[in-house]
Amino acid sequence: MDAIEVIGLTKRFGDNVAVKGIDFAVKMGETFGFLGPNGAGKTTTIRMLTGMTKITSGRALIHGHDIARDTLAAKRLMGVVPETSNIYDELSAWDNLIFTGRLYHLKKAEIERNARDLLDTFGLYERCHEPAGGFSKGMKRRLTLAMGLVNNPGVLFLDEPTSGLDVQSRRLIRDVVQDLARKNVTIFLTTHDIEEANVSCDRVAIINRGTIAAIDAPEKLKQTFESLQSIEISFDAVRPGLLEALRTLPQVNDVRKEGDKFRLYTADPPEVLSSLCTFTQEQNMRPISVTTRGPSLEEVFIRLTGLSVGTKGEVRETDAGMV
Amino acid sequence: MPGWFEGVSRDIGAAWAIARKDMKIYYIKPSILVSSLLFPFVMFLAFAVGREAAAGTLIPGLLAVTLLFSASSIEPVSIPIERRTKTFDRLLSAPISIRAIVLGASLSGALFASAIGVATTVIALIVLNAGVMNVAALLLGFALTSLCFSTMGTLFAAYRTENVGEVMSLLNLVRLPLLFISGVFIPLASMPGWGQSIAVFSPLTYAHDLMLFAFDGTTLFGPVIDVAALVLAIVIFQAAGIFLYQRSRE
Repeated sequence: MDAIEVIGLTKRFGDNVAVKGIDFAVKMGETFGFLGPNGAGKTTTIRMLTGMTKITSGRALIHGHDIARDTLAAKRLMGVVPETSNIYDELSAWDNLIFTGRLYHLKKAEIERNARDLLDTFGLYERCHEPAGGFSKGMKRRLTLAMGLVNNPGVLFLDEPTSGLDVQSRRLIRDVVQDLARKNVTIFLTTHDIEEANVSCDRVAIINRGTIAAIDAPEKLKQTFESLQSIEISFDAVRPGLLEALRTLPQVNDVRKEGDKFRLYTADPPEVLSSLCTFTQEQNMRPISVTTRGPSLEEVFIRLTGLSVGTKGEVRETDAGMV
Repeated sequence: MPGWFEGVSRDIGAAWAIARKDMKIYYIKPSILVSSLLFPFVMFLAFAVGREAAAGTLIPGLLAVTLLFSASSIEPVSIPIERRTKTFDRLLSAPISIRAIVLGASLSGALFASAIGVATTVIALIVLNAGVMNVAALLLGFALTSLCFSTMGTLFAAYRTENVGEVMSLLNLVRLPLLFISGVFIPLASMPGWGQSIAVFSPLTYAHDLMLFAFDGTTLFGPVIDVAALVLAIVIFQAAGIFLYQRSRE
């Protein structure tokens, strides 16, 4: 049984179809990234999966429980950490956790034990009886995450967990999330931080305009875009017209100037390296540094979501479909 | 444990948790307590000064109006604010029914208004040297009237907005006319026929009638009809609230 199974999930607001019949499954204990540009349908999908918004058509199962028909059983298995730190500012951190535990119908002793452990884990115990409104942004975020864990969920929905946080809070939250993954908690993570998804997720799905553009492990997704491989080169001197000259080299799809470096996008790095040797000799230029790079997940993301980066129009079929 | 019993137990537990949270955040505040206790005093001055009626006879109407405003004023403010701060989403994502959310929000207003009603009665009885003929009817009247109007406030807050002003404007469109068609300030017998026809649809009419019965034994409809009408209004408001909050998830 999958932790999350989504079949033909659709959400319609009047004439606007925000999510168009998407399908995917998240395995038990998997950390699954859900990426997409603003307005792609990420939040609507999460709201449907967590029972906050009604599903127009299709199904979503949490540990086999249909979120539309067996809503409360599905919700009891999940923890939800939304993008906004939705804590009660007037209540203390302790009271926020106790209230959340009561909503999950936990026993008083269990709520208090979990609250103490979570406050300790998130470094909030010392100030747990102060009104949460006086907390810093990082502390509020940590408290929101703690509230999402008070019921020891099997599936945790995390929406932008570290966005805009200080280094300390960011690192603490990442450590806790990695620890949860080790404890076989399924994590459904949405983030704008592509690098965070790259290092944290077993697989990622990229949603764009309400449809899934690709689903795969980050490294596999990168491999599907050979054309996004690149060579980064810097020269001892930059001459006028150099950018245009580099673009004329065989097998080069595009060239970008990044600071004192040039990035040459290609599907065939050895061929371009060979051309570059000839080019530098002919131009009497000396390379200072040369690095070959595979595509980053961010480049894959930008490509899949319709923004051009360093490639000429190219349609390719992958495991994920036409991209 | 049978499934339905567990469901009811969970709903009651969640509703009580929400009511306690709301009481702590919105009701038990010095400014709210002071203004709620001053409200009946100001209303008394507004309607007793210059009138020939004995001050004691105004108490039932005064109490009915106090309960109406105390019970229905906070949830139409707190729920749009919770939508804006996204704390309302916390309730929607929790494993609790919409039924429990509506009941919990209504319960906090009902408890608060009942407490204000009791305090107002004690002060009024001491100051005006009046008496209560039927304490049980009075307490039942407090409980039902408070729950009826707090549910009405929760119902209006179902209007899907984050703007408090929008909800309060809608609520006052209904709440203020209720004052004049429910026999509180103008006796029903003095009203024109069309006014009397409308009055029977106002829960405030029955709340006032029950208060009158509790204080001096006079009643137009009888306490059984008053209680039944208030219970019916509570059921209708709760059902409408559950329906509208369900719809707002679409």
